[in-house]
Amino acid sequence: MAIHKLEVLVENEPGVLARVAGLFARRTYNIDSLVVGPTENSKISKMIIEVSVEGHSLEQVIAQLDKLINVIRIEEILEGAISNAKHDTQPDYQN
Amino acid sequence: MAHVPTANGTAMTGATSLVKSLEASGVDVMFGIPGGAILPAYDPIYDSTIRHILVRHEQGAGHAATGYAQVTGRAGVCIATSGPGATNLVTPLMDAAMDSVPLVAITGQVPSAAIGTDAFQEADIRGITMPFTKHNFLVTNPDEIPRVVAEAFYLATSGRPGPVLVDVAKDALQKQTTFNWPTSINLAGYKPQIQPNQSAINDAAALIAQSAKPIFYVGGGVIKANAARELLELAQLLGAPVVTTLMARGAFPDSHPLHLGMPGMHGTVAAVTGLQKADLLITLGARFDDRVTGKLSTFAQNAKVIHADIDPAEIGKNRYADVAVIGDVRETIKALIPALTATLAKGRADISPWLASMNKLKATYPLGYDTPADGALSPQYVIERLGKICGPDTIFTAGVGQHQMWASQFIGYEKPRTWLNSGGAGTMGYAVPAAMGAKVGAPDSTVWAIDGDGCFQMTNQELVTCALNNIPIKVAIINNESLGMVRQWQTLFYDSRYSNTSLESKRVPNFPLLAEAMGCVGLSCDNPADVDATIEKAMSINDQPVVVDFRVHRDAMVWPMVAAGTSNDEIMIARATAPDWDSQEL
Repeated sequence: MAIHKLEVLVENEPGVLARVAGLFARRTYNIDSLVVGPTENSKISKMIIEVSVEGHSLEQVIAQLDKLINVIRIEEILEGAISNAKHDTQPDYQN
Repeated sequence: MAHVPTANGTAMTGATSLVKSLEASGVDVMFGIPGGAILPAYDPIYDSTIRHILVRHEQGAGHAATGYAQVTGRAGVCIATSGPGATNLVTPLMDAAMDSVPLVAITGQVPSAAIGTDAFQEADIRGITMPFTKHNFLVTNPDEIPRVVAEAFYLATSGRPGPVLVDVAKDALQKQTTFNWPTSINLAGYKPQIQPNQSAINDAAALIAQSAKPIFYVGGGVIKANAARELLELAQLLGAPVVTTLMARGAFPDSHPLHLGMPGMHGTVAAVTGLQKADLLITLGARFDDRVTGKLSTFAQNAKVIHADIDPAEIGKNRYADVAVIGDVRETIKALIPALTATLAKGRADISPWLASMNKLKATYPLGYDTPADGALSPQYVIERLGKICGPDTIFTAGVGQHQMWASQFIGYEKPRTWLNSGGAGTMGYAVPAAMGAKVGAPDSTVWAIDGDGCFQMTNQELVTCALNNIPIKVAIINNESLGMVRQWQTLFYDSRYSNTSLESKRVPNFPLLAEAMGCVGLSCDNPADVDATIEKAMSINDQPVVVDFRVHRDAMVWPMVAAGTSNDEIMIARATAPDWDSQEL
């Protein structure tokens, strides 16, 4: 079972943590750890989510997370480097 | 966003700002019930150009808004007060989310200082509806009302449509504010992709040209995107068979020779088998729902998949997509037609043996039903005659259960937006309020609710609303005095032990009398010879709602059937009767 670390930029609004946590719970994704903190921009918060993907693809977790309107950007943190682009669910085809 | 409202820059209450915002969003009708927390908004509603229809239960408001949205393609609007008013909207919101219906729900909330104190009629409706709204808002500052309402309509109607809830605290409605309609909408985390990627289109065209057994798997997205005409052109260009899901009935004419019917648990043998045996599924605005796929691991095992959908999260959710095309499905089909034309001109696989085998299946296993030997009325016959007599311009809504499946099977749908039902959620009680909303959205169309006797008893109070507001819908109760579909499962899977499925609705209530009590015309029919005359009588009454109690025999079952959790290969055409596969070459 692989654990992936996601850096998620969200709008700093009431209820955003509930939206993310609720999504993981109702779609039966497992959160291993979750850290929420401010960014330099007071309107944007950053979540670091460690998710263990079992029976779900990472792409599906990211795609569902991306549907939350308050989620601005998702990056997978790879060992030693951060990928630059916002994570795409279909990297070959999405514009 | 269409125009700058004349009220821009004027001082007013938050309540007036809310109503001005709804007007600026193009709302012409809304369904609702006032109460304490939303009461400030009802004062400016009294003066508004918006027609407010006072329903009898908030669930009716929600499904009416859905019916309105499904026939018009515009956002449906419902409005309720805090607490129980808002929670009564929960079912319609979930229903709209499952069927991707553009809906905006406005709810009053207790004053902001009281939020979190378990105040009278306080419910955390934003928290409650998070899982099945596309997005929702809690507004405590009246200055935010115009922006939030504009965003709500934009979110509900753009991309993959869905329900959006706006909860407004009572003090935000009462306070003074200045109305400022936003000049643009900028949501950092929401950028739906409308235009498909050309390389994906080219990959799809190449895959289609190579396929010897292609099939169009058409879902409700085609209706949402107003892509029926484009689909017809694409299907005829390729000449491949088409199946339309429960949500897509009407997206492709039932009378078209390429149409195999509906796939899924109660789909036709040809449609179910077509998907199973195809080598390529051209999936357009469909989502591989379990009621279509049956046991997923055995679904269309030899098929490659082209999956075109506006929602990236549908790609690969249930079934791997060999080619994913993200975008509005109308734009996708429009791009695919020239690409496919060019590709096919260079050469293509011969699909004629495939088409011939599908046509043979279609001819061998048409939909049908047995007529009871004792002369009792068949539910399928009633529904078939309704379709024949009322014609393809009639809008049909259905509740959930056997009558819904028969209405999807035995009425020929030729046009989009003429078949409304609760597909994903399976909401009993949908039919009557949805028909009310549909009639309001399409007042010149005949609207029939085909309902079960169980479903009808959940929401029939909205016939009062219809009678008082000149909304002359027609209701056909398919009265088998049972929770029929549950009873069918008890017959098949629970040794005919009919635990709590007998409603005794041929004794109580007296449906025609109940209809009369609600200001409707009540009719009844229990003889096959009287069906046509009864339908024609109902069709002749256009100044009042009409309710017909069709008293049908209770043992009719919905066939074909793929039992829940089993493979589509195990489709049965009648009890313990499988198609004769040995005589088919597939």
